[in-house]
Amino acid sequence: MDTATAKKIDPVLEELQGIVGEKNASGAKHIRYAYSYDLSFVEPKLPDYVVMVQNVEQVQEVLRFANREKIPVVPYTAGTNIGGLCIPERGGILMDLKQMNKIIDIDVADGVAVIEPGVSHAQLAAALTPLGLRFGWPVGPPSASVSSCAISHGIGGLNARYGLQSQEITSMEVVLPTGELVRVGSCAIQKNAWHSTLPLPKLDGLFKGWLGSSGVVTKMGVNVHPAPPLLKIFTVSCDTVQDMYSYMFNLSNYEICDDITAVSWWLSQVPIPYPYKEKPDDAAEWNSYATTFSWTEAERDARAEIWDKVVAEEKAKGTSIQVTHYPEEALKGRTQLPSQVVGSTKNYCKQGGAGISWPGTFTPAKKWAPVYTRWKDILIGHNLSPSVRMSMYRGVHYGMLRAMIPFNKQSKEETENARQAIVECLRVDLDEGGIPYKPPVDFAKEINLRADPGYLMLLKRVKEMLDPNDIMNPGKLGI
Amino acid sequence: MEWDIASLEDLEHYIWRCTACGTCKVAYDFGPPATCAPICPAGTEFGFEGNMSSKGKIAFARGILDGTLEFDEDLLNDIYRCTICAGCQNQCQLDHKPFIPEIMEAMRRKAVEQGVGPLPLHKNLTRSLKNYNNPYQGPRRLRTDWTRPFKKAKKPIKNIMKEPAPTLFYVGCTGAFNQGARPIPTATASLFQKLGLDFGILGENEVCCGSTAMRVGDAEEFKRLATHNLELFKKLHDEQGVETIITSCAGCYRAIKKDYILSSDYDKMMDGIRVVHTAQYLHELLQKGELPIEGELAMKVTYHDPCHIGRHLNKFEVDDDGSQLWPGAYLGMSEEDCVYEEPRELLKAIPGVEFMEMERNRSNSFCCGGGGGVMTGFGDWAAKNAGLRVEEGMGTGAEVMASTCPFCHFNLNSGAQRIQSSMKIQDVVELLDQVIPAKD
Repeated sequence: MDTATAKKIDPVLEELQGIVGEKNASGAKHIRYAYSYDLSFVEPKLPDYVVMVQNVEQVQEVLRFANREKIPVVPYTAGTNIGGLCIPERGGILMDLKQMNKIIDIDVADGVAVIEPGVSHAQLAAALTPLGLRFGWPVGPPSASVSSCAISHGIGGLNARYGLQSQEITSMEVVLPTGELVRVGSCAIQKNAWHSTLPLPKLDGLFKGWLGSSGVVTKMGVNVHPAPPLLKIFTVSCDTVQDMYSYMFNLSNYEICDDITAVSWWLSQVPIPYPYKEKPDDAAEWNSYATTFSWTEAERDARAEIWDKVVAEEKAKGTSIQVTHYPEEALKGRTQLPSQVVGSTKNYCKQGGAGISWPGTFTPAKKWAPVYTRWKDILIGHNLSPSVRMSMYRGVHYGMLRAMIPFNKQSKEETENARQAIVECLRVDLDEGGIPYKPPVDFAKEINLRADPGYLMLLKRVKEMLDPNDIMNPGKLGI
Repeated sequence: MEWDIASLEDLEHYIWRCTACGTCKVAYDFGPPATCAPICPAGTEFGFEGNMSSKGKIAFARGILDGTLEFDEDLLNDIYRCTICAGCQNQCQLDHKPFIPEIMEAMRRKAVEQGVGPLPLHKNLTRSLKNYNNPYQGPRRLRTDWTRPFKKAKKPIKNIMKEPAPTLFYVGCTGAFNQGARPIPTATASLFQKLGLDFGILGENEVCCGSTAMRVGDAEEFKRLATHNLELFKKLHDEQGVETIITSCAGCYRAIKKDYILSSDYDKMMDGIRVVHTAQYLHELLQKGELPIEGELAMKVTYHDPCHIGRHLNKFEVDDDGSQLWPGAYLGMSEEDCVYEEPRELLKAIPGVEFMEMERNRSNSFCCGGGGGVMTGFGDWAAKNAGLRVEEGMGTGAEVMASTCPFCHFNLNSGAQRIQSSMKIQDVVELLDQVIPAKD
């Protein structure tokens, strides 16, 4: 039987092609194969069909059909989440949203951009910069999706000031798994108002952090901010994680920085050494960069004055803090985002061989030092570099602790070694009160093992309410 | 003559170096403001990840190598739905970067070896190469049709096989056989005569450079043609005094400069011969003050970079022995061989020309859509893509889109016709020929 005949007798494909057009739906194995894997250790799995949706109506029709036929649907834009989130656990329809990529509006006065799901960070950056506006660009590929990053609680370069990308979401339009179109936030009350989610009940939470398992976001408002012209970067090094935490906690309390981040020596290497390589004795174990933008030189100098004070206080405590000079190229990688080169995740894993995963967590900052110490033992025990990043979110209240672990994807053994090490690290963090973000299913299971039964019951009940036939990215939540 | 042409298996290590990060999908440069635009013709038209840039093609290669994918009609079509323009390669930052077009072509070579490739329309092309030594099924005598006006005007062009000359104008099949592209060799020869250049052509003895065979995966046919040409070039050097070969086709230039070096005898055969593209040659004259531009062209002109004399000529530095980073590490790239500035400077040197730059230019140029066998295999899509490029040119306000490749010239013309654009597509040489007076 030729492939053309085979296509004709597949009723699901026929239905999908009827919705999105013949050229935008495929059941061809090689087309599905290209969606079956990502950078992570998550085992590849093929979707059964791929559809390329062009508009909201097509999203609705596909979901109505899938819900009626109880076929899984996995939303996908760029597939760069490094948590295997778009790998179809149970096959089904892979819904590629990248061609829904219009920037619908940039409202300079309201500081809001309204975008479709396929809008990439590079695309939004190109549109915002001429208007003197900015967004917190993540350290990821320029082609990654702004909305996918935001609804998955991704991070970016303005986290110390404004919080997570998800905290920048103002309003959303969403197609439910049953096909209904809903709105949350101010756009729900007045269709062209995208300024906020408050003071309404925060129903936006139904679609954030659910890993594409509660609906398909088709429009999103995000806050965008004026871009002050003067950048100053504060860079220090410390010999111990405790000393670095002390400095970051102190500096963060003054709320003068957009980003306060520290990286272990191994992560400051691009690429990360793979397998584990010992740090030279004369190199500090931690390096920190903190960015601050100012409108005037006087403002910049005032911020620098505060930073000088913090450094002096830390020195007075007898810590190992040293003011350092960062190489210009390394700083560019942190401040000239989105970046193809130094800032992109892929460059971290060059030496490993194309694989990268993480125990990426939100962890109380006071727990960074004990967790890092344990992680270091685990990772070195697996012959992997303890390439760890710590970043403050919105002041001192919580932060990101993650290890970027490269591995050789060509080798099953080396991939499994990395997976085991990462899951071990995760258990340590969970037991200290941390929580992984963008979690692969392996992580979700560990989370649920520790979850309060009432929380799990509520989670299941909400999921059932939104998705009665469990068609949306099923299996990803581990419930 | 031995040829070192990589198989898909030879490249497996590099194939596994792709992270699937998707950086290859868009032309991007940090600004501010940033450049961000689609770079992949196939991705623009077909959209699926598998059709999109090197991320998709690497997925196919992995699937073929790990046994998950077998060649079938659909896979074969998608392997050939790529213009091999190297736009994705220009974006990638990983270790497989230097080998990306090679990986795509190695898949095609594998398909040809297994008897399933190339596509039926390509088979006509390769059959024509075997039977006629050109991809247009053109009889040998037609190769010189474009020279008739020169004979008529009593300014015949030398047959270099019969009369020695230091310079060979290697016309290329498209310029010779393709009616729409014929103004290019005509203008080139006219210009050379005005400049008093002692040059000749191979005429009926010219055979295809082999680029088309290589691009569609027929390595054996490529080797036959390339071997013939290398031997011919050496003979011309030894017996007819040829020291310079000028190509007006970007594809021929790329083939001679990048594909022929895969021959073990390249250095021996090409010793004493310099290969330049027309734009480079004329630019050298411009720099020396030997391009006597006198006329004026009051027009707004934009320039389309052909992939084959642009990013295809990137030079990559690879840590082969691991002495700097690790074996096979991609260390860096140089654009010193890319012909980006020469055509632009030639255009700007013409009085009256107002030069307008498209957003996607130089290394981030958007392919016309005709390369990699696409114009033959998927003619309608090739013209559609060219229409997108012409629209981009129109957006600059230009009325002429200049290029330096007969292949681009033909395809962009098809694109302009398809969208009923008034944009005129002309070769840089055609414009120069209008402003350089004849010598008495």
